[in-house]
Amino acid sequence: MSKAAIEGPPKGGFSFDLCRRNEMLVQKGLNAPSFLKTGTTIVGLVFQDGVILGADTRATEGPIVADKNCEKIHYIAPNIYCCGAGTAADTEAVTDMVSSQLTLHRHHTGRESRVVTALTLLKSHLFSYQGYVSAALVLGGVDFTGPHLHTIYPHGSTDTLPFATMGSGSLAAMAVFESKYREGLTRDEGVQLVAEAISSGIFNDLGSGSNVDICVLTKGHKEYLRNHLQPNPRTYISEKGYSFSKKTEVLLTKITPLRDSIHIIEGGDEMEE
Amino acid sequence: MSIFEYNGSALVAMVGKNCFAIASDRRLGVQLQTIATDFQRIYRIHDKLFIGLSGLATDAQTLYQRLVFRHKLYQLREERDMKPETFASLVSAILYEKRFGPYFCQPVIAGLGEEDKPFICTMDSIGAKELAKDFVVAGTASESLYGACEAMFKPDMEAEELFETISQALLSSVDRDCLSGWGGHVYVVTPTEVKERILKGRMD
Amino acid sequence: MDLNSGDLNSPLSTGTTIIGVTYNGGVVLGADSRTSTGMYVANRASDKITQLTDNVYLCRSGSAADTQTISDYVRYFLHQHTIQLGQPTTVKVAANLVRLLAYNNKNMLQAGLIVGGWDKYEGGKIYGVPLGGTIIEQPFAIGGSGSSYLYGFFDQAWKEGMTQEEAEQLVVKAVSLAIARDGASGGVVRTVTINSEGVARKFYPGDSLPLWHEELEPHESLLDILSTSNPEPMVS
Repeated sequence: MSKAAIEGPPKGGFSFDLCRRNEMLVQKGLNAPSFLKTGTTIVGLVFQDGVILGADTRATEGPIVADKNCEKIHYIAPNIYCCGAGTAADTEAVTDMVSSQLTLHRHHTGRESRVVTALTLLKSHLFSYQGYVSAALVLGGVDFTGPHLHTIYPHGSTDTLPFATMGSGSLAAMAVFESKYREGLTRDEGVQLVAEAISSGIFNDLGSGSNVDICVLTKGHKEYLRNHLQPNPRTYISEKGYSFSKKTEVLLTKITPLRDSIHIIEGGDEMEE
Repeated sequence: MSIFEYNGSALVAMVGKNCFAIASDRRLGVQLQTIATDFQRIYRIHDKLFIGLSGLATDAQTLYQRLVFRHKLYQLREERDMKPETFASLVSAILYEKRFGPYFCQPVIAGLGEEDKPFICTMDSIGAKELAKDFVVAGTASESLYGACEAMFKPDMEAEELFETISQALLSSVDRDCLSGWGGHVYVVTPTEVKERILKGRMD
Repeated sequence: MDLNSGDLNSPLSTGTTIIGVTYNGGVVLGADSRTSTGMYVANRASDKITQLTDNVYLCRSGSAADTQTISDYVRYFLHQHTIQLGQPTTVKVAANLVRLLAYNNKNMLQAGLIVGGWDKYEGGKIYGVPLGGTIIEQPFAIGGSGSSYLYGFFDQAWKEGMTQEEAEQLVVKAVSLAIARDGASGGVVRTVTINSEGVARKFYPGDSLPLWHEELEPHESLLDILSTSNPEPMVS
């Protein structure tokens, strides 16, 4: 075991220990695996009194649907959320990292986090990894200065827009926004439009699928509508379940009874020697 | 060939009513040559927490050693066992640390959490957590396992029915994968006991 | 198949038209508003004329991530510099800072920049900072993919000692010419005029721009064009 591991948990940052070995394996014809991706439709728009974010819920690994109902709208701060597309591990890690930095910053300053702070932290991290951390994000939130919506690309560039889409279904979703978005939408109209844009991604893009998640952010208030729409329910499940005509052949069984966890008795006698 | 296919493996975990099951095949191979037919791919972290490691066996063992080490440190510091959710985050962090030179391992984690609530989860080789309410699969037989579990699983099964379901799903799936097989290893964990069983399967 | 990786992993670049022109009393900066990833228009209303200080602006072309980072750093440094100096920075200092970052990191960056502004010592000044990180003081500068269509035009149309209106009209005309010929430029035209009076931003929507050779009138819907040219429904 390496010295660092004995000394205790690592302090952070990436480890490149296995890079040379893995490169050798690739040269021998043993290809590196594909990672969990969120071939995604994620969107966001600014409405009358805040921001609405939306996402589908499909995670893919190559052509396989690895998760039919994953969460792509990540928490950043109580007033800021962020949709992630790209490599799942990267979007998860990068949003978690920034949300923890912002929590510390809030404890330090005693003020509400700002969307631009989150934006700057995200873009500077992504820029320093030159696009190798492949996270494409739609960042939305309402702070002291009003509602904000930004897109962040894996290379660290950012845009500020009234409506935005990202991921493989972004074209389908953008088509909906371009034809129907207008300034000063009400909350219900906004939710309806976001749901329509995500649905267009779900049905027209193979990388996106399953359900519609929505997050509505207004001043001092947040509403997370998990599975707002479920347009693809299971149709093939049998009520009785599956019955097996022949039992599996068991060669060996080992049963370990588990000890009861120790209960602390209220008002028990004091220990004496 | 993908590095995941070097040793071959099949892993599956399912949730039942106040219990869970985790199962694997028993083959260890080097490409098409079988090296061992009694290989342990599922490891016990504590009585109510198990982890299965599919993929490259050498990385699986290294990763397991690091996880045991970190769990023992946690036990010493905190004087308690890790919750499955905490453990999953630990595995994820260890894997993501090697984002640009990963362990070629896809873990499956299953455990009983607070108030014996079952928890299952899988990850890719760089630690993207995938939490599921029903079942999770990994390994070279994962495609067939997805299909089998999708058809056979139903919610809130009792321990014995869960055992039968996971066993049938595993055995039928490894029969369509030449890199995994040689029987199965099944753990069914309830709040009161751990039942470990070895299954007979095809030997070709 | 994976649009995701193809689209997202190709860096965002501002295949652009950017212009900086000096006139009698100040400078006019101009740019289109298209940001593209390969064939997809990622943003049709972007702002490529970034503020560095009260009196200095920067036109960005090349990788969006690189140029945004450069301008963020330069803005930060100039902010400190302004406080320490107790007066507005000169355009020369700003341009030299841009050059310093572009030159020192030239292996990492893909950035073609135009710095323009006004200060009390030298008046309106335009500095070009092209790909390698060299710095050139110019009476006018053009950059981005659309600039190749404009060199001849500027040789003919730029005159010493123009008025503000003449300079603004020249910039708008030039950007709209480039938008018409360059696929990577498009959207609207944005201009920034800087002189002793201060800064004025202007915005020209795509449908208000002059039409050039063989360009079509703007339409609300594609159906308007299709129905007039071909009244018959499609029959095979």
